[in-house]
Amino acid sequence: MTDMPEVGESMSVKKKKILVVDDEEDMIWTLRNCLNHEALNADILTASSGEEALGIMEDTPVNLVLTDIRMSGMSGLDLMLEIRERWPSTSVIVMTAFPSPEYKSEVMRLGGLHYIEKPFDIVELRQVVSEAVNDDRSFAGTVVGVSLSDIVQVNCLSQATAALEVTASDRSGTIYFEKGRIVHAESGGETGVEAFYRIMELDGGKISSKKVAKPPEKSIDLPCEALIIEAARRRDESGSGQDEGFNIEALDAEDPFPALSRADDGGDEQNAEDSGGGEAPPSGKTTAQEDEMDGNLRDILGEFTTIPGVNTACLVGRDGFLLDSIATVNVDTEMIGAIASSGFGASESMGRQLGKGNMAMTMIEYEQGPVIFSPVGDEAFLVIVADRDSNLGMIRLKIKKHAQEIMESAAI
Amino acid sequence: MPEEGKILDIARISFLNMIKEMMTLGGVAAAKGGLIRNALACAEKIKEVDYPDFDAFIEAIRNATNPITMIEGKAEHTGDGIFGLPACPFAPAISNYTEVFGSLPDGFAEFTEEFNKPGPATSRYRIGEGAGVSPFCAVHQPLRSAIGDRITIGGKQVRIYQLGCKSGAGKKGFADRLIEEAGVDRSVVDAVLDNHMCCYCVKLE
Repeated sequence: MTDMPEVGESMSVKKKKILVVDDEEDMIWTLRNCLNHEALNADILTASSGEEALGIMEDTPVNLVLTDIRMSGMSGLDLMLEIRERWPSTSVIVMTAFPSPEYKSEVMRLGGLHYIEKPFDIVELRQVVSEAVNDDRSFAGTVVGVSLSDIVQVNCLSQATAALEVTASDRSGTIYFEKGRIVHAESGGETGVEAFYRIMELDGGKISSKKVAKPPEKSIDLPCEALIIEAARRRDESGSGQDEGFNIEALDAEDPFPALSRADDGGDEQNAEDSGGGEAPPSGKTTAQEDEMDGNLRDILGEFTTIPGVNTACLVGRDGFLLDSIATVNVDTEMIGAIASSGFGASESMGRQLGKGNMAMTMIEYEQGPVIFSPVGDEAFLVIVADRDSNLGMIRLKIKKHAQEIMESAAI
Repeated sequence: MPEEGKILDIARISFLNMIKEMMTLGGVAAAKGGLIRNALACAEKIKEVDYPDFDAFIEAIRNATNPITMIEGKAEHTGDGIFGLPACPFAPAISNYTEVFGSLPDGFAEFTEEFNKPGPATSRYRIGEGAGVSPFCAVHQPLRSAIGDRITIGGKQVRIYQLGCKSGAGKKGFADRLIEEAGVDRSVVDAVLDNHMCCYCVKLE
């Protein structure tokens, strides 16, 4: 039996191994498709939890771990720290669902630690991964250049239990997190809230995150957002440099990927309420109700075409007649509907013949990109036409998120 | 004298079998859509025509110069823009098929049920929704409506509403929503169907 080579040694002549860790099945599906690319020449392993990822890494040397932050069980940050301790030569890319623009991928690759913002551009992600996987420098675990506020937010939103050591030329301090809450801070002789604000005033320096089982004490009992806002206010007042690009308002204003970022806080229910997708409307709809449903449907279809690479979204009756469509390119959507109906119907017939039941969401890949079909109820199906390198996971998530609303809108 | 052999009209027979094949391969809904689109494609080949008034439109039906009569023969105007068609244009195909094979292909009832479901096509062309009594209605009704869309009377657009239909076995089907939308009394449609196989009305926009 051949021993597995150590990472960073003879593996340079072999395929690199990338481990994708995410508890969202769709995201794993997307990343696997995205990374399974000849340019990367890598084997893609997947794990649905941090614990599973560690189990895989105990058996298989991995060059790069691409992990979500927010996962049930072990968080991505804890996983990253564990990896840093046990496999220091393994690079880690952390994915976040933060909407703030400072998380753009071109500034993520600093000091060997990468942040990828969801929703991400597939080509960019592939580029960052390619650079990381072909870079055999070890993961230092120290972040230089990323704003402190960003790191604090990451810890809060990832439900981390950790100690964040901040070292500047004239001062240092430590902020302690427990399950994402800021519970203690020390700086010089100070502790508590004032120590936190003092630390947050630091410009530049080095940040080191350590995994801790328990903070030494609890001296802070304020929400993270309040602490961060107050810290920013104090920085403004003191005239010290601002965290470039850090925008607290933006965090509250709009979440471009709510299905992901609200996965743990009942976001789906909230979304359904927001968009009127709760109770099914009565069968005898008024014109106003129909207009509203039509509007909702157009909004939903429009959402698909905002996904990079998606150029057409059609809702098609099973008979092939369009219920509605939005296309950003010049295509005959009526004809797409008719043809898709034949293809969809044929696939369903095959499933019935084979005793496979009804058809689920599926994709046909063409040279110039995929077409995704998804049944919505018994009477209609969605057709999403995309270019190559489109974010398929995002398409799938949006389909799942809006399936009920679309079904109701499609009901004649 | 030996009994004379039965002769298949291959065009008709294959059409009926084709419907069955379409249902098997692509499902009933896709088959319905296919037949409707086939009808619409046929209608697109019909030249647009304008009649100076409604009398001229009716006269063109009587003398079989109206585009609608091209596909179904002469209909009878029973008043208020309501027409009754004495014979289903598909009757010979049905007769020929059943004469040779004994019964129509399986699944036609399911197809008819599917055709009667409300949907974009039934709404757009004012067809089905109860007025379908056989799969052939999925060809005939949209074809007539789409031809109607190519006809104007005094410059005003003709809109045809399918109100009802009667099967060869005498079972009547009524499109209650369309009957109401057209402002016609259901009893009038019922009466027309007593003596005709198909009932529709013509409205001007």
